[in-house]
This record gives sequence, C-alpha cells and structure tokens, in this order.
Amino acid sequence: MDRIWDFSSVFASRELLLVGLGNTVKLGVTCLVIGLTAGLFVGAARYSRNRLVNWPASAFVEVFRNTPALVQIMWFFFAFPIISPFNIDAFTAAALALSLNATAFCAEIYRGGIQSIERGQWDAAKAIGMSYSQQMRRIILPQAITRMVPAFMNRAVELMKMTSLASVIAFGELMHQGKAIATYNFNPIETFTVVALIFFVLIYPLALGVLRFEARLGRSQ
Amino acid sequence: MGYEWDFAVVLRDSDLLLLGLVNTLKVTILALVFGVPLGLGAALLRLSSNRLVRGLVGFLIEFFRSTPPIVQLFWFFFALPLLTGIEISPFGASVLTFSIQSSAFFAEVFRGGIVSIERGQWDAAKAIGMTRNQTLARIILPQAVTRMIPAFLERVIELMKTTTLVATVSYADLLYQANNIAQSTFRPLEVYTVAAVMYFAVLFPTSLGVRRLERHLARSGATTAH
Amino acid sequence: MGEVLRVENLHKSFGPNHVLKGIDLTVEKGQAVVLIGASGSGKSTLLRCVNFMEIPSDGRVWLNGEAVGRERNGKTEYREHSLIPIRTHVGMVFQHFNLFPHMTARQNVMEGPRTVLRLTRATCVKRAEKYLAKVGLSDKFDAYPAHLSGGQQQRVAIARALAMEPQLMLFDEVTSALDPELVGEVLRTLKDLASEGMTMVVVTHELGFAYSVADKVVFLHEGRIHEQGTPDEILVRPSQTRTRDFLRGHATFRLPEAQF
Repeated sequence: MDRIWDFSSVFASRELLLVGLGNTVKLGVTCLVIGLTAGLFVGAARYSRNRLVNWPASAFVEVFRNTPALVQIMWFFFAFPIISPFNIDAFTAAALALSLNATAFCAEIYRGGIQSIERGQWDAAKAIGMSYSQQMRRIILPQAITRMVPAFMNRAVELMKMTSLASVIAFGELMHQGKAIATYNFNPIETFTVVALIFFVLIYPLALGVLRFEARLGRSQ
Repeated sequence: MGYEWDFAVVLRDSDLLLLGLVNTLKVTILALVFGVPLGLGAALLRLSSNRLVRGLVGFLIEFFRSTPPIVQLFWFFFALPLLTGIEISPFGASVLTFSIQSSAFFAEVFRGGIVSIERGQWDAAKAIGMTRNQTLARIILPQAVTRMIPAFLERVIELMKTTTLVATVSYADLLYQANNIAQSTFRPLEVYTVAAVMYFAVLFPTSLGVRRLERHLARSGATTAH
Repeated sequence: MGEVLRVENLHKSFGPNHVLKGIDLTVEKGQAVVLIGASGSGKSTLLRCVNFMEIPSDGRVWLNGEAVGRERNGKTEYREHSLIPIRTHVGMVFQHFNLFPHMTARQNVMEGPRTVLRLTRATCVKRAEKYLAKVGLSDKFDAYPAHLSGGQQQRVAIARALAMEPQLMLFDEVTSALDPELVGEVLRTLKDLASEGMTMVVVTHELGFAYSVADKVVFLHEGRIHEQGTPDEILVRPSQTRTRDFLRGHATFRLPEAQF
C-alpha cells in the first residue's frame, strides 16, 4: 500500500499530546514519590521480627508484585469505588494502583539493599554503642542507598511505562490522548509512532542512566 | 459498610474466566516460543564485531525496552495492518507484539549471561583452535544458561503480567472476560477480585519457585545472582 | 631443519601501550626455552603472539619453517580461519587453567580433538584417557573441575593441550595461581614433558625449575630481549646489570654456586 506518512495531523493535535505528556509525568512522579517513601516503611516492616508486622507487609508485597498492574488499575477504578467511602476518579484510581505497586517493588529493593550490607557493619556500629535506628540511619542506609540506585531507576523506567495503562480507564495521559487523536483523525500509524517516540525520549535517558550508574558502581567496587 | 458480597454470580461464569486464563497463558507461551530464540539472535548480533550491526540492534532493543508495551500493541494492531494491508487478529497482534517486546528483554538476559563468562574460557577455546561460533555453542552458552535462569524466569513472570494487555484489543483473555462478566452482572467488585486472585494463583507459586531456584543456584555457585 | 619456531622483529601494541619492541627468537625442535622477566616485561604477550591469540602489530612468525600470515603491500594480513590450524599445532596452558567447568576432565581433554580436529568419538576418548594418564590423573576421568585441586586442574589443562598433539607447547605462568604445596606436581609434569623431547616455551618465575630444565633462558626487559643463553650464563653468571637486579629480587632462588 502506497500510503504516504503524514505527520501534519498529529502536529495539529500537539496541544492534546502536550496535555497527555503532562498527565503522564504527573502520574509517574506522584507514584514514584509515594512508592519510594512508603516502600521504605513496608520494607522495614518486612524486616521486623514481629509476625503481626512482617506478615501483612509480606502479603501486601506479594499481592502487588504478583498481579498485573492493569488488573490493579481496573480493580481500583471499577471495583474499589463500590466499597470506598469517597469518590474515585480515573487519576485517583490509577495513582492508587500504581503507587501501591511501586511501594511493593521499592520495599523489595530496600530489603535487598539492606541485606547486601555485611554483618560486620552492624556489629561495628553496635559495638560503638549505636541504637538500632542510629545503626540504620548513619551506617547501613548510606551504604545501601548507593547500591539501590540502579534498581530504583529501573523501577522508575517500569513505572513510567505503566502509566500508559491508565489509558484503559480513560485517564488523559499520553497514550489515551494518542488513542483519541488516532480515532478522531484516523491516523493511527503516525499518532502511535509519535506517541512511542515521545515515550522513548522520556524513558530512554533513565534507562541509559541505569547502565551508566551500574558501570560506575562496578568500577568502584 | 453495608455492601453484600456475592460471589455466586462470578462462580456461575467461572468457566468463562478459566477459558480467559487459558487464553492468557496461550499468548504467554507463544510469545516465549518466538521471543526466546529471537532474543538470543539479537544478543549475538549486539555482541557482533560489526559496529553498524551492533549499534542498530542495540537501538532496537533499547527502543522496545523503553516504550510502553500498550503503545507497541496498539501500533501493531492498528497501524501495521494499514501499512502492510494485511489484516491482523487481536490474537495475532498480541503474539507478534509480545514476542518482539519480550525478545528485547531476553536479549539483555542472554547478553548479561554471555559477558559474565570469564575471558579465560574464550582464551582456552581459542587456544585449542575453536572458532567463535564453536566457542559460543559448546563453551560459553552452556555455562551462561545456568547463570541466566533466575533472570530469565523473572522475565517470564513479567511477560505473563504484560500479556493482560491483550484485553485492550479485545482478545478473550482473562481480563477481557472479567470485563464482560462485570458489565453483564453488575458485580465488578467480585469479578475483578476473582480475576486478580486467579492471576495471583498462577504468578505467586511461579515467583516462589523462581526464588527457591535462585537460592539453590546461588548456593551451588552456578549463578552470579546479585 | 630442526627449527620449530622463529620470531623476527615482533612488535605488539595495545593502543598507546607498546608492549613488545622487536623480539627475535628461535626455538629448536626438542628445546625447552624459559622466558623470565619482571611483570609487564611482555612475556605473556610474546607467548600469546606465538599462537596468535593476539595478532602481532609488526614482524613475522615462522612455525616449522612456514611463515604465518600473508604479505600484502608491505603489511602482514592474518585471516582468522587460517590461524585456527596454527593454534591446533601450538598448545597453550594458562595461569588460571581455564578448564571448562561444565565438562568432566575427560570431556575437557576430548573437546579439541572432537570439535576442532573432528576425530571419531572413540579415538577422542582413547586420546583423552591416554593424556590424562600421562599427567597422572587416570583416576579422575569423570571428575568435574570443581572437584579437583588446583594442581590437578592444571594437569588436566596440560592434558587438554597435549591431546591436540601439538608440535610446540606454550606455558604461561602455569604455577603462579597454585598453592605452594601444589606447585611441585605441575613442575614435575613439565619436566617429564621436556625430558621426552617436547618442544616448549615456558614463562615462569620458578627459577630453580628454569635452571634444571631449560636449554635456553631468555630474560625480557621492557619489551626487548635483554639477555639470553644457557641457564648457567643467565641465571648464574649474568652479564647484564638488569638481569642481576632481577635475579637478586628473587630471594627464594639460591643456587649454591650463585654469587653476584
């Protein structure tokens, strides 16, 4: 088929795409910030010796790691409002699902990072009289964080890709805007190509950062 | 809270949900069948001595790793038929997308495994006169494969989760069936909960198995697991 | 003619790093030549250029009187597929053994004859067992490398190289990675090979071994041959100061007649 690629109709809709891009970034950053913060607590809870604390934390992590993000988003959009006392719009549903998803994955990264620090570091900190939280804050976490950075960046990559799933519940992020433009102008080739490229430009620097950082870590250790 | 759960309506349609699960697994398995060899090929090309080949394949791998699979799926389902003039079913588009998408990830798993083998192994094979291909096939890959198993299986789990996307192009997988049932029964809470539980029932044992295997391999020293 | 190896004006650079700066060396049939020198003097690189694990930057290599590579427009060209027969005629043993960990001792030794020489399975098995017996490992045919001591692993590696029935053997610091108590068994294997008339070039820091086994000792310094001669000439009465300094650094090497 001799179809001539025509990007002018996509270009004409650039403001729609820009809005979408803004929403994509908003959703991604919100979920990343929540995931990084809440993940630390869930990760610590999994580390706890108290069963009442570590068991629910573990269950939470396993459920969110072992179900598809799309199912999580749809559950929070279609199912959760029925039992929720407050109204849930598309952004809230997507943000809830992906934040909890990110929390579960980040919790595992924190746990893995902390476990990777040798016992001797805990012993040495304890020996000079530090409390548990001092040991954690001053000795363990500063070392562990460097090792966790590539994994967190990887998470950010996955999370940014996952935000596109919110298009399924009609949240106006980039993919959803793309779908609308493609349907309206009947130009799916150009639109989806452009959407893919925008995502690539948005996400690839992060992926590249992971490689750079890993190479640097590899050299320094 | 006053909501009365009623799973009876969901159970009545449980055969539809099970069929959906089978269809999900079908896409996953086919994507594996095509994606793994494709990934190996891509990994070898990425390690090629030809700069142009290396660069091009590297870019393709990065592109498919750095764009959302739903965008890829929509491209293959809506755009590709217009470009080629060949009709493509939701099932066909899904298998095509996820084969290529997962091959990009498998390529990185293979590459990681191959480069983790010490230089000395290449040296020893070269010293007894083996060619590059003989060395790969007989010395490097057999060792790399054991080390790659955990990363490989983690990828399989990710792939299984990603295949839920086929619901968005109307292929009758588990999530798609759940959508339909939720709409016809007005019981979305139960339906989506059951769908989530079904995914969990498949994925959780798989992850547990992967972790156990990972620990076993790490203990036997066969893996470079991190 | 009894000349197995001749190297003329060999140069090798890695980027800006000029490692070999014009090496001339000949090895006669049945000779054991020992290369000594400080680390970084180019010993290992010289070995790796002889079986073309590394491609020389300049100069020529002759094996059994035949020049390796083709002359074209004043430059020597090496095609990978033409280097493979060279490597099958030159055996090499490495510092870190580099055994294939997924194969038993027997499979390690069979690998070359089977995959490269394409001999029948039965011949390869027979050959593998013959050479494993020769290095004293008749009871370890089915052992995996992980279950062998360092010395045993290195002897399997020697058998693996011998099984190609090469005309020249290269040994690259083959005892440097071994625990002190395991060094002896490997050196004994090398000594036996030398006494059976195997032509070999050995890079080693074991000067006692060099003294008792070598027909010729070559001292390398900063990519050049600084001095060469009989063990007596080099190890006992070196004429060059650098050689003397190097030998003095080896405190463990004390020959009764040595007097610097």
